[in-house]
Amino acid sequence: MRLELKGLTKKFGSFTADDDIDLVVEPGQIHAVLGENGAGKSTLMNMLYGILQPTSGEILIDGEPVDFSDPGEAIAAGIGMVHQHFKLVGPFSVADNVQLGREHTRFAGVLSAGAARRAVRDVSEQYGLHLDPDAICEDLPVGVQQRVEIVKALSGPKTELLILDEPTAVLTPAEITELLQIMRNLAEGGTSILFISHKLKEVQAVADTITVIRRGKVVAELEPTASESEMASAMVGRAVSLQVDKSAAEPGEPRLEVTDLTVVTDAGVKALDGLELTVHAGEIVGLAGVEGNGQTELARSILGLLKPDAGHIAIDGEDVHGRNPARRIKAGLGYIPEDRGRDGLVAEFSVAENLVLNQYRDAPFASSGVVNASAVDRRAVDSIAEFDIRTQSPDESASSLSGGNQQKVIIAREFSRPRRFLVAAQPTRGVDVGATQFIHSRLVAERDTGTGILLISSELDEIYALADRIAVIYNGRIVGEVDPDTPREVIGRLMVGGRLDDETDTADDEADSGPEAAAVVNDAEVETETETDVETSTETDEDANGGDR
Amino acid sequence: MASDTMTAPPLVDETKPVRHLLAGVVFLVLAVAVRAAVSLVGIGESATVAFDRTLTDFSWTLPSDPVVAFLNLVVVGLAIWMIVGLPQRWFKIATAAAVTAVVLSLLIWNYSQPGTVFRAESILAGALFLSMPYLFGAFSGVVCERSGVINIGIEGQFLMGAFTGVLVANITGNVYAGMVGAMLAGSLSTMLLALLATKYQVNQVVVGVILNLLALGFTSFMYDQLKKAEGLNSAYSVKTITWGPLTDIPILGPVLFQQKVFVYVGIAMVAVVWFLLYRTRWGLRTRAVGEHPAAADSMGVNVNRLRFWNVTVAGLLSGFGGAWFTIANSLAFGKNMTAGLGFVALAVMIVGRWNPLGVLAGALIFGFTTQVARDLDAAGASIVPGEFLQMLPYAVTLVVVAGLIGRAKAPAADGVPYNPGDK
Repeated sequence: MRLELKGLTKKFGSFTADDDIDLVVEPGQIHAVLGENGAGKSTLMNMLYGILQPTSGEILIDGEPVDFSDPGEAIAAGIGMVHQHFKLVGPFSVADNVQLGREHTRFAGVLSAGAARRAVRDVSEQYGLHLDPDAICEDLPVGVQQRVEIVKALSGPKTELLILDEPTAVLTPAEITELLQIMRNLAEGGTSILFISHKLKEVQAVADTITVIRRGKVVAELEPTASESEMASAMVGRAVSLQVDKSAAEPGEPRLEVTDLTVVTDAGVKALDGLELTVHAGEIVGLAGVEGNGQTELARSILGLLKPDAGHIAIDGEDVHGRNPARRIKAGLGYIPEDRGRDGLVAEFSVAENLVLNQYRDAPFASSGVVNASAVDRRAVDSIAEFDIRTQSPDESASSLSGGNQQKVIIAREFSRPRRFLVAAQPTRGVDVGATQFIHSRLVAERDTGTGILLISSELDEIYALADRIAVIYNGRIVGEVDPDTPREVIGRLMVGGRLDDETDTADDEADSGPEAAAVVNDAEVETETETDVETSTETDEDANGGDR
Repeated sequence: MASDTMTAPPLVDETKPVRHLLAGVVFLVLAVAVRAAVSLVGIGESATVAFDRTLTDFSWTLPSDPVVAFLNLVVVGLAIWMIVGLPQRWFKIATAAAVTAVVLSLLIWNYSQPGTVFRAESILAGALFLSMPYLFGAFSGVVCERSGVINIGIEGQFLMGAFTGVLVANITGNVYAGMVGAMLAGSLSTMLLALLATKYQVNQVVVGVILNLLALGFTSFMYDQLKKAEGLNSAYSVKTITWGPLTDIPILGPVLFQQKVFVYVGIAMVAVVWFLLYRTRWGLRTRAVGEHPAAADSMGVNVNRLRFWNVTVAGLLSGFGGAWFTIANSLAFGKNMTAGLGFVALAVMIVGRWNPLGVLAGALIFGFTTQVARDLDAAGASIVPGEFLQMLPYAVTLVVVAGLIGRAKAPAADGVPYNPGDK
């Protein structure tokens, strides 16, 4: 299918999300659309898929103008979409998820389970995507869920164009490699692919041509041979340094000591299973791992939001057992939560109020229990200047800020008081390149003043860029502590439960995804050692805010 | 939401034994309480079970004291097994057995009083009949909540159905027209809920409460008005359907083959609702819309339209359940005659885990306990005051919800309005 967009524009009130977008996808081509969060990529795809209707401009399929009023029409026209946030009904089987909306029926709307199963098998065999039609989706690993999404998208009556919206955000390195290979196979089979991403390496590895979007406009058409900094500059609109300057760490005394920490969830699952971890003054320890392996529970236990079932946490040499978060914060704990919408900000409060959330009871912000508004305002004005928070005024509500600026409010709050130890969980999630750069440099500066930092990130690149030591978490345990010059595939293996000395495992893994696929990761790894990059956000700003709606 | 797609890899599969321990302690306390109550109040010599409708000459007499003591030991044994630890797969069975033993010993104790006879056939037939309002109300709830709309207005739909059923029957002189009228009244009431929940995205719990109050006020007002007019609120009844020789089968005959049309419709609805939900395109889409509306939307399902019609049609069920109060019981309409049973129907829906078969089981439990309480009350020989017996279904609900089935899980998008274009 040849897809052409001509002058596609979408306005929400006075805000133009997409402005005069022109784009052509040739048959069998992988066309990457690169852009920062909020650049208008998702809006563009939603127009293509009939979820939103363009304000002006047209969509041409094989030269014919089309007009979709809902996704059903887009599907009928041969467009399949894999959404950034999977659209899978958790308790449904794979077959039911795939047939939803175009059910296999015998008569009068009675389902034919056999036909649905066969259809899944046919499509998965045709494209080499192995799936069990009877598996329940919510029990499947994320990578397999994505395969379900792809099979679902390909199961349309005549799917010839596949839209993949940020498909790698939640995948492990091995799963990413596999996905890229699947994309190549599909394109070879004649399927056109629109690949939405802000991850430069993946785009480089797989795209035939690249369109860069910034603030709703097409700003560049690049070849995949373009360098990462070229792509990053086009995305951000100015030269971007992808390096984080940092000297060697000078670790001091232990600031965080976690011994034998065990947390059992309500479901009776051990989220943390005898976890041991030490972070010293003046070092950044990167906690690498696939999301959902206990990172959240560890961070929340350190702050005191979760009561561990066993084990000890000592901050700055003192056991903090039984202390509430307020006392821990007072003792010098800084905390950048992974979900800023839920744990980081009070959305309805003003920026100024959010900036003193951790010390509003203390002088000079309060005396005798009465808040000193002018002190709060003065602090806000200072922080807004120092951390470059883009807000109309300190009195604006935090919810009206963009995700990146909300994150800066949190960073400013945590950095504006004396601290001994800092937990930074996903500190640049949903944050654009410029702000990422800023946050990274502040974290390194913070380290250099002697604070111990635990960096929890699902982005390996961020870990590589900042960490002085890398601990890998899997199933609630630290399964390995390695130097930051450890090759990426070793860490990738640890992240999925392999062992450090396990060489045979690698061979198997690579054989699974094919030699060509394995080569991709290695290619992409060559220049990553101390390099930060644009890949650090996994979710859009809208989503990060979505939680508190 | 992102979190529900990012499921953790399966971790150590280790279940907390805490629930088992707790259940064991609870049953131990129950067993001791029953024992203490029995020795304190005393127990009659024997309990009699009669097949009162078919084999009227036959009755079966149990030595009550030893049987209760034996059942007590069974409960103690099961409790100890739970405390020392038992495999997970046995837990549900043990809990069910222990609950049954406790209930049985209470029954035998009560019916050991002189002058009481456990008329098995009448009681079971009555239990099935009494479970019908719960069944229809809960099915209405299941259809609504499976599509993602909370319907706590069942009580109001009952009232509308009960009232309209009698009114239409009086006007037309046809009791079946009355039933249809009741269904339409229920449906009109849910249509309002559907409109507010989908088009205007109002908080569904608030709407439900308001609809209940509206129905109560409206029917009470109309009741006062009708009293002035002659022949608009007279009782209408439907005949009991008897299946010829089948009615003479012991137990089964009186229970299944000698009932009013409401019971047969109710039993048929179990199969119909189950089949529709799990075997048809409509059911697949309905469940999808209740679990993950964005997923359904992305596949071309019109979420709000489906929700609107499901909720509107569900009102037919609760409206029909309303007609049970008047027409099935051969009663005229009375103010607030549904007495909160619409809320019990909600509990039945939760106990039944939003599944038609579970709902049937829940409705039967409630019907049975209500019937036993009524029967003992009527005999006037109840050891335990009637109020306590009336509490029984709720106690059973607590046990069932807390211990037997673990945490009941509602459809994920239950009560969450859907805006197309949302992520």
